[in-house]
Amino acid sequence: MAEALVIRNLSKRFGGLRAVQDVTFSVGENETLALIGPNGAGKTTSFNLITGFFRPDAGSITAFGREIVGLRPHDICAHGLARTFQVAKPFGAMTVLANVMTGAFLRDKRIEAARQKAREAIDFVGLSAKEQTPARDLTTIDQRRLEMARALATEPRLLLLDEVMAGLNPSEIDQAVALIGKLSKRGLTIVIVEHVMRAIMAVARHIVVLDHGQKIAEGSPREIVEHPEVIRAYLGSGYAHVPASEAR
Amino acid sequence: MKRNWRASTPLALGAVAIVLLVLPLSVKSAFVLDIFIRILLFAFIGTAWNLMGGYAKQLSLGHVAYFGLGAYTSTILQIDFDISPWIGMLAGGVVAALASLPIGWLCFRLRGPYFTIATIATAQVLMLIFLKFRDFAWGAEGTTIPNLGNAPLMMQFDAKSAYYYVALGLLVIGLAITWLVERSFIGYYLVAIGENEDAAEAIGVDAPRMKRDIYMISAFLTALAGTFYIQYIYFIDPATAFNFSISIEAALVSIVGGIGTLWGPVIGTVLLETTSALLQSWLGSRIGGIQLTVYSLILMAVILWRPTGIMGFLREMRLRPWRARPAQA
Repeated sequence: MAEALVIRNLSKRFGGLRAVQDVTFSVGENETLALIGPNGAGKTTSFNLITGFFRPDAGSITAFGREIVGLRPHDICAHGLARTFQVAKPFGAMTVLANVMTGAFLRDKRIEAARQKAREAIDFVGLSAKEQTPARDLTTIDQRRLEMARALATEPRLLLLDEVMAGLNPSEIDQAVALIGKLSKRGLTIVIVEHVMRAIMAVARHIVVLDHGQKIAEGSPREIVEHPEVIRAYLGSGYAHVPASEAR
Repeated sequence: MKRNWRASTPLALGAVAIVLLVLPLSVKSAFVLDIFIRILLFAFIGTAWNLMGGYAKQLSLGHVAYFGLGAYTSTILQIDFDISPWIGMLAGGVVAALASLPIGWLCFRLRGPYFTIATIATAQVLMLIFLKFRDFAWGAEGTTIPNLGNAPLMMQFDAKSAYYYVALGLLVIGLAITWLVERSFIGYYLVAIGENEDAAEAIGVDAPRMKRDIYMISAFLTALAGTFYIQYIYFIDPATAFNFSISIEAALVSIVGGIGTLWGPVIGTVLLETTSALLQSWLGSRIGGIQLTVYSLILMAVILWRPTGIMGFLREMRLRPWRARPAQA
């Protein structure tokens, strides 16, 4: 399988804090990879490094065969990497349609073409009924949907989703999981940062676990929930129901 | 209903255009005509400011820097090199646009209030430069513009109404540029930058380049106003050309009228300039400072109750639920 994203020995420190230390992993094309770990493990920092918001102190990031360290966020987006933010950042004064059109302009500067593409993306995330709503009036899940539609309108090949399910109720989580499944079927490579384990198990084929900025484990969902180091650092012994039930 | 309103827009615009064109012919009072010219001029400056300050929400309070650069460029060209202010006006625009590059390079590193303070500082520095360097800019005394009588090619007119038409032309140019920006991807990009710069970058907007480019356009237009104003009052000195109150007025008329809207600066200027002129003629100097007091009260009222300005207020009125709305959902 061709690699969409290859991260080698990535490091970033903020003063005395080593936010990301020597992290290496890669994502194959059309694969869905989950990045998990406790708060402060360096997940969002990794996202910011990959998307050009922070500059790494060391290491390399190759996306679709091109080194992207040093590129600015908008260049990285033009290269096919789109992201959402942990705290949604909608353009509050603009309507949903205008928000998504702004993303669509990356590939086509004509108003009509952008509007059409934006409508497709809005329809895809199920927000068509609220097309004319100002973004600031949306609920949390709709703001997340909007962020996804806006990212999709830039026609990415790799989508980085930062905690899109935080604060959603169980049925909303199911909707979000279905949406991510749909995106994956369209051929997108997805990297997802998430705390909702139920969702991760449903969407991810591969999981990378970070703790204190370091990679402590990597593998399939089943391997990860049984990994003693992951249970100690993140999941807690209560979560290890799979091996526990087998042991009984 | 909405469609009717849209269809009647060209008609309404036509009517307004005719009124504006005929107006100076029916007004005999030089005082009233002067007020009209001030309204057109400040509406134009506000429109230039609004492109960057309104749409992209980069709150500059240093736009007088470009007003002054435009004024001095055309005046120096006219007096030292005998070049017509019409050409000087364009030259001033180019000088201002070029000056906006290093100024923007410095100021755009900062965001929010820090950006605003930095723009004020750059305008002050420019004023000091023109104050101290007497050799090429007449220092603090300034200079009068030689009166050539009626010389349209040198932007000098006997009839005051001619100045009115020049100012009107400037305003139309400013509004046309704004209209084009609003209807292209540039308008979307600017508003997105103003709303959230990081999110805009994340979806492929080159925010630093957009800000730089719109700042250049804004500076260019503001400089045209500087040339016009100096030609209109026949006098230039640093205190006039770099008067801080012009920076304030540019932002104020836009905020009161509604930032980031096509007509906001025009409506704001009409309201503020008319109020100030009426107060001046009714009260004269009997109550000192009353004009500034009323200005401040209007600004406070707008920021407290209608932060989206008069345009925002009108839009909300139109969207009131009890009003007939086009079937949508």
